[in-house]
Amino acid sequence: MKHARHSFILGRPWQRRQWLQASAAFTLVATVLIWSAQDLQLSLRELIKGLPWMSDFVSRMLPPNWDFLGRLVRPVIETVHLAIWGALFAIVLALPLCFLAARNLSPNPLVFHAVRQVFNAARGINEIIFALIFVAAVGLGPFAGVLALSVHGAGMLGKFFAEAIEEVDPGPVEALRATGASALQVIVFAVLPQALPAWIAATLYRIEVNLRAATILGMVGAGGIGFELYSSLRLFQYEDTAMCVIVILAMVMTADYFSSRLRARILAR
Amino acid sequence: MIEVIGLSKRYGRLSALIDVSLRVNAGEMVVVLGPSGAGKSTLLRCINHLTEPSKGEVRIGGETVPRDRAGLRHVRSNIGMIFQDHNLVARMSVLKNVLAGRLARMPQMLSMLQIFRADDVRVALDCLKRVDLHERAWSRADRLSGGQQQRVGVARALAQEPRAILADEPVASLDPKTARIVLGDLKRAARDLDIAVLCNLHQVGFAREFADRVIGMHAGRIVFEGSPQALDAQTLARIYPGLEDSTAASANEKIENLRLAS
Repeated sequence: MKHARHSFILGRPWQRRQWLQASAAFTLVATVLIWSAQDLQLSLRELIKGLPWMSDFVSRMLPPNWDFLGRLVRPVIETVHLAIWGALFAIVLALPLCFLAARNLSPNPLVFHAVRQVFNAARGINEIIFALIFVAAVGLGPFAGVLALSVHGAGMLGKFFAEAIEEVDPGPVEALRATGASALQVIVFAVLPQALPAWIAATLYRIEVNLRAATILGMVGAGGIGFELYSSLRLFQYEDTAMCVIVILAMVMTADYFSSRLRARILAR
Repeated sequence: MIEVIGLSKRYGRLSALIDVSLRVNAGEMVVVLGPSGAGKSTLLRCINHLTEPSKGEVRIGGETVPRDRAGLRHVRSNIGMIFQDHNLVARMSVLKNVLAGRLARMPQMLSMLQIFRADDVRVALDCLKRVDLHERAWSRADRLSGGQQQRVGVARALAQEPRAILADEPVASLDPKTARIVLGDLKRAARDLDIAVLCNLHQVGFAREFADRVIGMHAGRIVFEGSPQALDAQTLARIYPGLEDSTAASANEKIENLRLAS
């Protein structure tokens, strides 16, 4: 058998200077990683030593309390409602602003950056902070949760919507401008048809995210299944907690299954 | 009628168009030939101000193209434009793509609610009939073949009921047979509907076959203007320098090769 000759090719062969740069970069990255690992007290030994305590905690969650399931029906339904209306209001908030946050449609850079920052702020501030604010405003209960998800979701959807607009093929946009159509008509007839599938996909994804977020909202009394989760934790009813976790998992997985199928169908069309 | 008087366009230090004047009469199809970078596209785009000319004047049907937005929109509504890659909205039906050509004359609010006057729909269907695609009116635009899509592009331009049509290499990405259909549609429409057509092409053969008149451009200037019969090897060499060949036939071949290579 003959031995074939091989060449290792990443790109254009490196000069001495490039090798030096690469090894300097490698050393720097390695140093940062080691330093941060020490800072975080990463230690496999501690983890192994703690394994018995983990199994102790998990064993206290087992078996899950299936009788608790009946008490979770209402909260599950409420969580779904929260997710849907949170997404709807998020769309209502994001829709009029997203055009201003798209580089290719924004009237001027100042407006573009301002709206982008508004979206960033809405997205950057945690749902739980918004939930606290809205609980103070409208009292305990799911309405505060809906409002929190709406504002936070508007930040996310606004960014996604704007990015979808930026990815639109500019050809048809120019073609319609050339026919003398008005700016609004160009948006409706050339931009929207192109951006819509991505918008719907983003909205479906947002509903999914809302379902997960709704598990946190309960912590501050803003509705959803999270309330049951945290009460059971506080009362050391870990079998109930396990049931909550199972139900939340089932919910998230179901949502993921349906929304990814729906998304695939919409994007494929 | 399209009149261009002393049009110039500069991009920084680069002159894309230098003092170009021309005239296309109603019902006439004028083909612009020239190598890539000669300024053909810039010329077309300056006529409907998709690109702002640096100097000069454009008149459509005797009307000067105004600078204000409303006036510009009005003039644009009288100029159809056909693009190399048709620029249809892929996810919209063929009919709506054609209707989009009439947006400028529709009531804003109704059009945005997707409500169209019966007259507009009729005109759109008539235009589709002209390019023999009325049976595909409800297909999504991207379900059509490349040639069919370009014919829808022609129909959209016709739906504007324009005085002038600007076609920017409308057949550059089509096979020769389909290309002849598209150019034939365009030529017939120009004659039947009295539209002034200004069309950029890369194929000298098509220019000979379809043009009423040919304009040759090189480096931003018009270097030839005359009948397609006058396109001999010498003339072609002026439009495409570096092609000094004895026969026009081999020149054609060379142009094709150059085009494929670029």
